[in-house]
Amino acid sequence: MKIAYYPGCSLHSTGIEYDLSTKKVCDVLGVELAEITKWICCGASPAHQCDELMSVALPAQNMVLAAQIDGVKELCAPCASCYSRLKFAQERLKDADMKKDVEQVLAAEFPEDLQILHILDVIIEKIGLDAVAEKVVQNLGGVKVACYYGCLMTRPPKVTGKQDFENPTDMESVMAALGAEPLDWNLKTFCCGASFALTQTDVVLELTRKILADAKAVEADVIAVGCPLCHANLDGRQEQINEKFDTNFTVPIMYFTELMGLAFGIKPKDLGLFKHLTEVDDFLKERALI
Amino acid sequence: MKIIGREEIRIDSTLAEEVARRSGENVFLCYQCRKCASGCPSRTFMDSTPTELMRYVQLGMIDEAMKGNTAWFCVSCQTCSTRCPQDIDIAHVIDTLRIIVQEKKIKADTKNMRLFNRIWMTAIKYMGRMYEAGLVGSLNLFTGKPFKDMALGVKMIKKGKIKMIPPIRNPLATMKMFSRAKRLRK
Repeated sequence: MKIAYYPGCSLHSTGIEYDLSTKKVCDVLGVELAEITKWICCGASPAHQCDELMSVALPAQNMVLAAQIDGVKELCAPCASCYSRLKFAQERLKDADMKKDVEQVLAAEFPEDLQILHILDVIIEKIGLDAVAEKVVQNLGGVKVACYYGCLMTRPPKVTGKQDFENPTDMESVMAALGAEPLDWNLKTFCCGASFALTQTDVVLELTRKILADAKAVEADVIAVGCPLCHANLDGRQEQINEKFDTNFTVPIMYFTELMGLAFGIKPKDLGLFKHLTEVDDFLKERALI
Repeated sequence: MKIIGREEIRIDSTLAEEVARRSGENVFLCYQCRKCASGCPSRTFMDSTPTELMRYVQLGMIDEAMKGNTAWFCVSCQTCSTRCPQDIDIAHVIDTLRIIVQEKKIKADTKNMRLFNRIWMTAIKYMGRMYEAGLVGSLNLFTGKPFKDMALGVKMIKKGKIKMIPPIRNPLATMKMFSRAKRLRK
């Protein structure tokens, strides 16, 4: 199966582990990810709040490029924020006036039938849990995982088309297929503060603290995520949270694709596991996973 | 929320109409059930709740709607838009308010978001992609906090997560897009 691949800016920098592990996992599952060579930033955090037209045109340009790749009907964006902006663009382009304007900005026709998928959608809808379970060589038996979706993997349902947006369970199903134990917890779709990390850091520290505390309350070994912004906040801000709130969080935060890669027997280094800011080595050694 | 005497209230629908024209959202559908406010993760940071913000727009209370920090503390988590029983895309209304503030250069407590947006959009225009080191560096510089998150930044560079070289790819494509958009708006 060949799917167009849109990594986005974060996966080429702060979320590099997500890019590495997504590619490795897709390799094992027989999915060919064809990266759009000339992809541009989707406009993510700023465009929708300062320029409506560009907030649609920027993601649309990437869809135009994706549709030009031979034999491609789907576009996969692992970053929840990119995924959301691509889906939003499709929704806004149902408006005839918007479509006319955007096509003028693109100087190209907008490809309407391209399907936008998050990497979790690719695994659930295109691969299936049975195929995932078949590839497991290292069972994650007993690892307690709090699956964290954040906002944009599911919300708003009008745009994402997701049914179980208040209590999604797709990531839990994947974790169970790897042998891990997904936990029931409260804040799986609560916001981490996303790009506010740069401008209103206090908001991020407060929201992220709540998420970490809730995962700790259910005794999670690890929080699994599917968004580079969630990862950057949960993984990178623990030290600052501990300082500010006098806590002692050292919760490993892993992309769900990294956990899949481990279960598939891929080398930790190839998954980027040593690039985390909150070290995961101790946890993985304790569980004899590395 | 500021309590205002009855004689001061003027219902002026100009702002609500502008929001509707730009976003397609009808704020008059809101009956203040407060579901948006109760689910909002940043409400404790805001001057007023999202429900109150909707009311300000309904009543045409432009200063309260536009000059406070409420819209600027919206982190676009989409919870309000998802839960609104009247199916109003509240996050879209808030985005529209922010766009109006920026376009009309209205003085507002934007929490440096005006600057953040400008830096990031400029990076897209001239480089095609976002450049983290440049974004963080210029943000810190312009907000007078040059050493904010320094320790974190150093760690990330060591781990190879932040690249110092700007990711310039095909900048002509985005520059052309921005100039065509500018022409279209005229």
